[in-house]
Amino acid sequence: MFHVRRASPLHAARAPVAAAYAAALVTAVLAFENPLVLGAIAIAIVAAAMLAGVGRMLLRAALFGVPFALVIALVNPLVADQGLTVLLRLGELGPLGRLDVTGEGLIFGAVLGLRALLVVLAGGALLGATVDADELLRGFRRISVRSALTAALAVRLVPVLGRDARRLADARRCRPGATPRPGAAERLQIVRAVTTGALDRALDVAATLEVRGYATPAAKGGRRHLREPWSRHDLAFAASATGLVVLACGARLLGVGGFDAYPLTVVATGPSEWLLAVAIVAVAILPFADRRGVLR
Amino acid sequence: MSARSTRGLLAALCAAVALGGCGVGAGDGPGAPVGLAVTRDFGERALIEIDDAKVAGADTVMRVLRRNATVQTRYGGEFVQSIDGVAGGRRGGRPVDWFIYVNGSLTDQGAGAVDVHGGDRIWWDHHDWGLTPDVRAVVGSYPEPFVHGDAGKRLPVRVECADPNAGACKVVADKLIALGIPIGRSNISRSAADDTLRILVGPWSKLRGRDAEAVAVDAGPRASGVFARFDASGEELAVLDPRGATARTLRAGSGLVAATRAKDRQPVWFVTGTDDAGVASAARALEEGALSNRYALAVSDDLPIAVPARAR
Repeated sequence: MFHVRRASPLHAARAPVAAAYAAALVTAVLAFENPLVLGAIAIAIVAAAMLAGVGRMLLRAALFGVPFALVIALVNPLVADQGLTVLLRLGELGPLGRLDVTGEGLIFGAVLGLRALLVVLAGGALLGATVDADELLRGFRRISVRSALTAALAVRLVPVLGRDARRLADARRCRPGATPRPGAAERLQIVRAVTTGALDRALDVAATLEVRGYATPAAKGGRRHLREPWSRHDLAFAASATGLVVLACGARLLGVGGFDAYPLTVVATGPSEWLLAVAIVAVAILPFADRRGVLR
Repeated sequence: MSARSTRGLLAALCAAVALGGCGVGAGDGPGAPVGLAVTRDFGERALIEIDDAKVAGADTVMRVLRRNATVQTRYGGEFVQSIDGVAGGRRGGRPVDWFIYVNGSLTDQGAGAVDVHGGDRIWWDHHDWGLTPDVRAVVGSYPEPFVHGDAGKRLPVRVECADPNAGACKVVADKLIALGIPIGRSNISRSAADDTLRILVGPWSKLRGRDAEAVAVDAGPRASGVFARFDASGEELAVLDPRGATARTLRAGSGLVAATRAKDRQPVWFVTGTDDAGVASAARALEEGALSNRYALAVSDDLPIAVPARAR
């Protein structure tokens, strides 16, 4: 929803490919618990965002994601009692029973928090900032026209409703005696006005779509487009996404990047793990090396 | 909030933390070695036997196990699913699972909630619990619970004999005294304190009905957890298998060393037999080597027989 066109190879790739690239990064995050490998994936995500010119958006998403990651990191040692290195004995806490904070619980909590943050960054920020949702949904229309239409309308209408809310808030402030910040009752009034507006708008949109013939069976297939040949950026990011998934699955099958959280934390940091880390970063950022044909 | 009230709140918090057994780090370790045994089928097959298990600080039973064996847990790490690959579940249509005994008593909490104390003997056994999951006391951790007691607290020990002048009574008392355990000797009492460890010595015909725990043994394994039963005359001893079927019948000269435990009371041990000769055999069998990893022990012609007996 905050997609902005930038002069970058990732933006130059077609939307499904760019989305697959982000999904491959998420797959890699979900495949590993090894902090070394997760660190490499974090570097890959940050580097990809910066090379795509959306580093600031990634930072903004991180500001939202870090508190959630911290909550996960702090809750885990309180609920997981499987570690052996006791750092803090909190005694008997009623129905929770005996509560000991262990080093292993803290480490695994940090790993879980990092994974959650990386999923937010790759699957939320990077995907949202580099993939044109409309283009992606156009591709989806071939599979299910109704679902694609619903999703497209939702994507389009949410920013419109946000602007509606801001306008209503501005109007409220212009009234005599209004305070700079609305109280709870005033907030409720704005939400009610926006919701009413949204329902009215939905009726208008439905009527417009009907008039334009979207309800007729002929519209289901959509207009036929000539197939665009794949660009070098399409091919590069598709190869990168495939490479990331192959690396993740291959490493899991071969037992590379192992991590045991309990009872004692064991992190595999051998040459194969370092090689895997370097490979993930390289595969993820190599497509950015070719900037030919990128609009400036 | 004023600085004064903040200081007061902090002081109250610190006091609560200190009184609640809280602290930084693993805490003080046990002062004496902790024994760990992991067995299958009522102690028949030993998987792990360690006299001085790895312990760090104020460990729990679960942590001691995890330090010394390969363990898979369930329900957030509170319950053991498998130890060294031996898992709970069903075997041959019968339910099997892991049971924990600390100093010979079945724990009534999850292993993560039971603290380990110096000298404790922890015994994990994987067995069929189709007949009863409630075998509350066993003799296989002898000389515990007599030496280190329960939950780190030594308990008073009393040897109660049907005939205080009988040789078997003196043998049992002497064996406990040799272990440095101060004991009291008396006739069979009906008014024992709940926190006293009692050993009842004498032929079953004289112990029968004298005590709530003796009544439980006569009621069978479901009531007492003892897989052995005397007949009506007390002159025959049936050794049962894990399903409760009679595996062997022992006659004159046969003895039994067994333990049971009533709710909220300390275990009661029986050194008994079909007659005086059987009681004397049972008293001689009161040895760490003979009782190790046994739920109970029958003795016939001075030969030990594991109780429960192996299923046919």
